Amino acid sequence: MESSRGPGPVGGGGLRSEFAGDPEMIGLVKMFVDEMPQRVEAILESWRRGATGDLRRQAHQLKGACGGYGFPAVGAAAGSLEASIAGLGQRAGIDELRGLREQIDELVGLCQSVLADPADEN
Amino acid sequence: MNLLGCVRVFWPIRLMKTDDGKYADGSRAERIAASMGGVVDSEGIRTVSSNETKPLVLLVDDSIDVHRLLSARLRHEQIRMTSLTKGSETLEAVKKEPPAVILLDLDMPDMDGFEVLRALKDDALTNNVPVIVLSGLTGSEDKVTAFELGATDYVTKPFDLAELRARLRAALRLDHLLKLLAERADVDGLTGLGNRAHFNKRWAEKVAESKRYSQPLSLAIVDIDFFKRVNDTYGHPAGDEVIQGVARLLQRECRSHDVPCRFGGEEFALIMPHTGPKDAAMVTDRMRQALAQVVWQRHPENPVNLSAGTVGCDASCGEVTPEEWLEQADRNLYAAKRGGRNKVVSTDLAPGTCQLAKAG
Repeated sequence: MESSRGPGPVGGGGLRSEFAGDPEMIGLVKMFVDEMPQRVEAILESWRRGATGDLRRQAHQLKGACGGYGFPAVGAAAGSLEASIAGLGQRAGIDELRGLREQIDELVGLCQSVLADPADEN
Repeated sequence: MNLLGCVRVFWPIRLMKTDDGKYADGSRAERIAASMGGVVDSEGIRTVSSNETKPLVLLVDDSIDVHRLLSARLRHEQIRMTSLTKGSETLEAVKKEPPAVILLDLDMPDMDGFEVLRALKDDALTNNVPVIVLSGLTGSEDKVTAFELGATDYVTKPFDLAELRARLRAALRLDHLLKLLAERADVDGLTGLGNRAHFNKRWAEKVAESKRYSQPLSLAIVDIDFFKRVNDTYGHPAGDEVIQGVARLLQRECRSHDVPCRFGGEEFALIMPHTGPKDAAMVTDRMRQALAQVVWQRHPENPVNLSAGTVGCDASCGEVTPEEWLEQADRNLYAAKRGGRNKVVSTDLAPGTCQLAKAG
């Protein structure tokens, strides 16, 4: 699964948390957004190593958490990636790997577009 | 790779470092604590105010995000919450301090939630704790498996917080009612002591403990002398007062680790852990003497006495079963009755020893 090209961000505007105005959640959403580069790096690292088990777990955890932080679209993309990895056979074909890579691209793009505060949107 | 390492979060009680003594991210613990309204000290432990009477909820999930989110979202609930990120630590933690409810993730790397659930339900000490499964696994097969293994409820991630709160409250109500039922089933209504069912459970536990750890253990069976005469002469309310009075005396005279129970009728049992036969005979005889001194409001002219049979061992009691202990204590009680009443007859379970304690 080595690749010379890393998955890139999806273009367009930033993704705002559904809980952006919730005082109980402001700190947590900011923390989640601040840590997003580490999560993205971990996903890419798992992809580079071909560690599908780790990749599935990372996607699974994002799926479970993103809704709670107010980013259901990211959670849905993570859920699709998790399902695809779970459906991979012992020897994945080139088309399957390409499909997986596209899903990672989409997920990473969404992850990179999350915003902690509406004021960050520009 | 776990991006967030293995930070163990205890909320609202304390927040700890990772197993290797470092935080996954140097500032993370402080930031988590700050988000919860506290500060981490130099040992990585944060203590905030908590009310020990609030029911304890244990969250087991390998995702630190779930810990953060639930800590924030359930902070206004009337609960204490403690958290683990490893399934394998659950059983030990539950035995140490049984929670009112467990929120359990299924997909965990070291020991999955199904295994944890199976272990909890296989253990008599933990099998009554309600478990709400919190899982990203949405297939009906997983839900059916969880319920068949004994889960109380199943909530899929990403969870709806209002729904989760409602389900948590329902599980807490269930736990409260189960405990109430269990307490009522084990308590004697007249005296407030443990009843026969309670005795049977505790006695089996104490015999097993004594055997396992070679600890001293003793048992006394106590019977009120001529109790029928009290009932027949002064009426049943007077008889009830005597039974309640003896129960109070047993509670007052025994040590904190002793277990007094009403065995039935006018008979009582006193389990004395960490107590050899000589001390048990002494303690029981002290109760006999104390009872003889009581002046009864309804019949001050007639004191009440007791007879008792005690049996005990100083270390290992070998393969003597709980029933055999009881039979020997009963034989001693009848020996005390035949010997004129108002006596304690004691047996040391060490072979060949049987002594008659002092008569009153």
